Amino acid sequence: MPDLRTEEFVVNMGPHHPSTHGVCRLILTMDGEKVLKIVPVVGYLHRSLEKICENRTYPQCIPILDRFEYVTAMSCNYVFSLAAERLAEIEVPERAEYLRVIMLELNRIASHLIFYGVTAMDIGALTPFLYGLREREMIMDLFEMTCGQRLTFNYIRIGGVAKDIPAEFIPYCRKTVSVIREKLNDYEGLLNENPIWLVRNKNIGVLPPDVGIAYGVSGPSLRASGVDYDLRRDDPYSIYDRFDWKVATRSNGDCYDRYLVRLDEIKQSVRIIEQALDGLPEGPVKAKVSPNFKPPEGETYARVENSRGELGVYIQSDGTKKPYRVKTRGGSFNQLQVLPVIGTGGLIADLVAIFASLDIILPEVDR
Amino acid sequence: MVEAADTGVVFWLLAAAVLISGFLVVSLKNIFHCAIFLVICLTAVAGIFLLLDAEFLAAAQVLIYVGAVSILMIFAIMLTSRLAAHNVIQTNRHAIIAFFISMVFGLGAIALIAGTHIWRLAIETLPADNIATIGKLLMTEFMLPFEVVSVLLLAAMIGAIVLARKEGS
Amino acid sequence: MIWPVAFAELRPIFDWLYDMVSSTGLPEPWLSVVIYTGLGAMMFGVLAVLALYLVWWERKISAHIQQRFGPMRHGWHGWYQTIMDAIKLLQKEHVDVATRDKFVFFWAPVMCFVAAFLAYVTIPFGEGLIVADLNIGVLYIMAVTTFTIISLLMAGWGSNNKYALLGGMRSAAQVVSYEVPMVASILVVVVFAGSLSMVDIVRAQDGMFYNWFIFRLPFGPIAFLTYIVAATAEANRTPFDIPEAEQELVAGFNIEYSGMKFAMFFLAEFVNMFTVSAIAVTLFLGGWNGVFLPSWFWFLLKTFAVVLLLMLFRWTYPRLRVDQLMEFAWKFLVPLTFANLILGAWMKYAGWYW
Repeated sequence: MPDLRTEEFVVNMGPHHPSTHGVCRLILTMDGEKVLKIVPVVGYLHRSLEKICENRTYPQCIPILDRFEYVTAMSCNYVFSLAAERLAEIEVPERAEYLRVIMLELNRIASHLIFYGVTAMDIGALTPFLYGLREREMIMDLFEMTCGQRLTFNYIRIGGVAKDIPAEFIPYCRKTVSVIREKLNDYEGLLNENPIWLVRNKNIGVLPPDVGIAYGVSGPSLRASGVDYDLRRDDPYSIYDRFDWKVATRSNGDCYDRYLVRLDEIKQSVRIIEQALDGLPEGPVKAKVSPNFKPPEGETYARVENSRGELGVYIQSDGTKKPYRVKTRGGSFNQLQVLPVIGTGGLIADLVAIFASLDIILPEVDR
Repeated sequence: MVEAADTGVVFWLLAAAVLISGFLVVSLKNIFHCAIFLVICLTAVAGIFLLLDAEFLAAAQVLIYVGAVSILMIFAIMLTSRLAAHNVIQTNRHAIIAFFISMVFGLGAIALIAGTHIWRLAIETLPADNIATIGKLLMTEFMLPFEVVSVLLLAAMIGAIVLARKEGS
Repeated sequence: MIWPVAFAELRPIFDWLYDMVSSTGLPEPWLSVVIYTGLGAMMFGVLAVLALYLVWWERKISAHIQQRFGPMRHGWHGWYQTIMDAIKLLQKEHVDVATRDKFVFFWAPVMCFVAAFLAYVTIPFGEGLIVADLNIGVLYIMAVTTFTIISLLMAGWGSNNKYALLGGMRSAAQVVSYEVPMVASILVVVVFAGSLSMVDIVRAQDGMFYNWFIFRLPFGPIAFLTYIVAATAEANRTPFDIPEAEQELVAGFNIEYSGMKFAMFFLAEFVNMFTVSAIAVTLFLGGWNGVFLPSWFWFLLKTFAVVLLLMLFRWTYPRLRVDQLMEFAWKFLVPLTFANLILGAWMKYAGWYW
């Protein structure tokens, strides 16, 4: 038989492609529908946040880092505050810790709801997106009544939180949580057993645990591969050890498991929030921190479990009121790194599903 | 259907469409345009069938020639990007000789048809339900040719699959 | 001047038109041309408005599924929103890519639009409400829908864009593949009605609803379901909307189109959806048959019910992958429909039906 050669062609997926969740550009070498090579091109959203932080005082860094990973800006607030508190050894009041946990978990739910909607939309189901955003809207309302902001909060500050919650927060939060718990059944009913959803996601983009660890993947994407690793439990921070919750893991590491793990995490976050609301003590919400906050000379690395994996901030302090160096680490970067490994050889439609299931957002990649 | 007076106008329109688009098929530079005009040409032929009350034939013409053959051609053109480039010459250096040879054949055919006087014209009217008749004939009198064509198509299909199959899969 | 016999209920309009045109003293062949053009334009107008309303309906249904309101500003529940949209699109500038193929790029939407309307020649909207009762009715519809494929290929190629090219080729491959199970499931009905004519097929389902082909066990429901699946694919709707898979191909074959050219593709899609639903009603759901109410009402009611079904599919299902789509067509639907066809033919031969 003669050697039939087909032409490969190069397609630019992005930087303004609807399913790259922002401005990611993937240079794809394709053989028909099959993806032979993926080269992610990053940097379209680079804002040099780390450098900007070097010219700001510590409290001023927090609103800058809000933009680092704006889908879960609370975590960015928190991780920087945590690092600064560790440098200066500040004791945070009890009530502030509870509020922080509530906010972090609410924000995690909000982020996973976006994941749910966007992933479904990338696979072609348009309705879940609206469902996901509907419940997220309640969480946004909660944030708005607390700090006046819906996306970039600047709420968690060094030494505590910016201000106490209003009186209507707790009943509305309980309502939100119970609504989400109830609506989760809707979500699962829409997609979990849907045969089309299953064939599009099962055994697609399997991430073996060793590959995941080698590429530094963390968070739900790694837990879907069966690695039972959650910083909230394994490198405890704040007061997570006081609550009764489980680390959600799955074993196959395919797109479907990555999806399920995130739904499971929503359930666990709901549990944490309910316990935190029950145990919320009275008291001050902010330790006394001078606006001229000057940590002693030294360096520290703080990391938290974000909805997209390990979110870390490294601060080097030279004893002045501005950090000498700030380095951030986001989970999305490593997940984008592993995309060529698990996406090559599949079809372009699979690539979209994998991209969605890794839950990459570009501001976190580019900073 | 339509009356005789109308048929005249429509026939000439269709005939003109067939001839013009047929000429464009062989003369246009861009091969994709040629394929489009082939579609128009074949559709116009179907229109002529329709005028002759051969509705089944017309539908089959559109279904097979437009729906399958032309689409296959367009597919082939789209898949081989070099073919559709504007600078590809669609004729070779024998074009002029070929033109005269085909002119000879064409004129010969016209002369032959014009000189024929014994047309086998069937005076009887078409059966009202000529599809059923065609079906019956295909299953009785023309059973063998029908089956042979089926086998031929099957062979072509298997051949295509064998060619397209990747080694080792 | 010959008047199609089946078109009885519109006879007054036709007579009025005839009187008006013949009073100008036009000679005969042109008289027919003018009158038929006028009737065609009327049909066209009705269907264009219908397509606009289907767009509005889809927006309302999707909105209510997604707990939104949808258009609310223009009239009661935004009933003339899509008309305003169409007017807006008419005024819009046509942005053409410099590298497009002028001829192909221009004619693709025209062809798509015309092909979508051609099928309405043989769709019986009610008793006597059919433009032409061709004795090849079903075959005719199958034949003219192939022009849609060619228009998609033209759009994909003429845009000179890789996404558009991929989208066009995908859609052609999809529609060609799904035509096979579609025809096979239609043939079951044809075998039982003993005719390809749409009117004859509806007449074969006269009487109560249990005479409808969908209720003829066991082949009827199977044929109906396979037809609906194939028709969804044929109309390029979710879960088979691969050609325009927004997330993979941005918008597929129509990516470079703007303004009214885009609107033509868009409206043609909705007209196609109505076409496949109307065929489903004619073939399986008894066509215009119904009690008390006028026949056209029953026909439209059933057709809108099938359209609603297709819309529910779209707003609840994710999309299949292109190879899974092909596998589903060739490895599942084609064997199933052919087995069903053989079963149906055998039952017809043995006389085990009512």
